[in-house]
Amino acid sequence: MLKLIDVSVKYGSYEALHSINLHLNEGELVVLLGANGAGKSTIFRTISGLLQPSTGHIHFMGQSIGGWSPDRIVKAGIAQCPEGRKLFLDMSVLKNLILGGYVHRKDKAGTARMLKQIFELFPILYDKKDQAAGSLSGGQQQMVAIARALMAKPKLLLLDEPSVGLAPLVVEQMFETIAEINRNGTSVLLAEQNAYAALQIAHRGYLIENGRLVLEGSSSKLRNNEEVKRAYIGA
Amino acid sequence: MPLGVMEMELFFQQIVNGLVLGSIYSLVALGITLIYGIMQLPNFAHGHLYMLGAYLTLWMMTIYGFRYWTAILVSVAALFLIGMLLERLVFRPLHNAPHINSMIAAVGVMLFLEAVARKLWGSDYRRLDSPYGEVISVFGVTITQQRVIIIVAAIILMIGLNLFLKRTVIGSTIEAMAQNREGAFLVGIDANKVSLLTFGIAAGLAAAAASLAAPINLVYPSMGAMVNLKAFVIIVLGGMGSIPGAVIGGYILGLAESISGTYINSEYKDLVAFVILILILTVKPTGLFAKEAR
Ligand SMILES: Nc1ncnc2c1ncn2[C@@H]1O[C@H](COP(=O)(O)OP(=O)(O)OP(=O)(O)O)[C@@H](O)[C@H]1O
Ligand SMILES: [Mg+2]
Repeated sequence: MLKLIDVSVKYGSYEALHSINLHLNEGELVVLLGANGAGKSTIFRTISGLLQPSTGHIHFMGQSIGGWSPDRIVKAGIAQCPEGRKLFLDMSVLKNLILGGYVHRKDKAGTARMLKQIFELFPILYDKKDQAAGSLSGGQQQMVAIARALMAKPKLLLLDEPSVGLAPLVVEQMFETIAEINRNGTSVLLAEQNAYAALQIAHRGYLIENGRLVLEGSSSKLRNNEEVKRAYIGA
Repeated sequence: MPLGVMEMELFFQQIVNGLVLGSIYSLVALGITLIYGIMQLPNFAHGHLYMLGAYLTLWMMTIYGFRYWTAILVSVAALFLIGMLLERLVFRPLHNAPHINSMIAAVGVMLFLEAVARKLWGSDYRRLDSPYGEVISVFGVTITQQRVIIIVAAIILMIGLNLFLKRTVIGSTIEAMAQNREGAFLVGIDANKVSLLTFGIAAGLAAAAASLAAPINLVYPSMGAMVNLKAFVIIVLGGMGSIPGAVIGGYILGLAESISGTYINSEYKDLVAFVILILILTVKPTGLFAKEAR
């Protein structure tokens, strides 16, 4: 479904990603593990078209999407819940969600159905729907960010560290929700430092270090890998 | 009449005059702030779009014999298109270039538009004859119908703009891009489309303001420069990119000019803007309604 072939990305003259080869099959939940500054967000921003690869190709559902503008990529079926959430803080929660469905704006009935599903998934957002997104707690804002990405009805959902800054109990709920979204048919690429929780719900994973993919395998393989254990699970 | 009453009437007269001025300033500043909000581009050519709007209305009326309101509509529509053209031909190609390039381009556009106006209409000062010259008097405050129209039309335009930005999905994309650029990209909003639309609306507002003001001011090729300077003072006062800031800042400047013109010296009227500018830059450089840095 998604395939990155020899993708390198530069910030000015600094190369942050070196020849990344990564793929994700339809229906999969794949986790991208890596320490701070490893390059996870850079991969996500590149897939979404916010950054252009300096070399390499990106394929999504049979099309080469490298060089496409971000809005075209969303229309093609890739939505992202980005690092730092990037919400419209002065707008109401509801309006954030409606704008999340911007690419389907002509389909009013579909948007209404999607909203209903979102509110079933995140009941708290229904209670807060008329409040400014900026007035919500960090965890609630994180939910708005995920919900906003879901409103685009993506075939592939990119989640960049959705658990960051959340209380352990909320993190657990968050991961349950992500697993549920995936079971409902959305493919998910998840960046996480919380390797233990992420590997419990993921099918496969990659380990990224200093802009290079250094390990790839099934969740159980990664869970039992000494390096992953030492660096990310703390066992 | 006792002196107190006369003083009150004079004061109210100045308030009304200030509101008239403020209405015009606000409409121009709104356009600049909208463009700044989504492109971080100080459009120095905005005052010259205003000038072009005034001339087009004048032209439609004198050459083609259009009625005032029809002429305004044509002028606003034309400026809407010209604004979009500017975005497409001048500012979009510079989008990934250093910021200074766009600013220099804006100055270039300004010089170009002024030259075009001189070529087409000459350098003479002209006046647009309003069909609404009649004077009405309310509680001792005299005001021409034209001035009432300016105040009311500005309010209608501002309410209309607000409804468009808040209540329609397309309007919301402008606000979304101003509030979080990357967030807007990630929900699939097309940055180019939003920039185009914003430029069109901003230029259209300038044309509306200029056409409303033309009967009470003179029309000449360099008229945009002073309006532009004042509009920039207003958005520095109100906070760059802030919509309420542009509206309130506009009225503050209008009232300050009108009142100081009466009670201090009318020759210093244009100085008021710069005194306000210096004050605001020393006291609260981010402006009254600055958005929180995020
Ligand atoms: N805008 C930028 N300009 C220059 N360098 C950048 C920029 N953004 C990121 N980098 C560099 O690219 C590298 C990868 O950063 P990235 O944000 O992708 O890491 P990450 O894996 O997402 O980290 P974290 O877990 O902290 O979010 C880092 O060395 C970082 O310093
Ligand atoms: Mg990151």
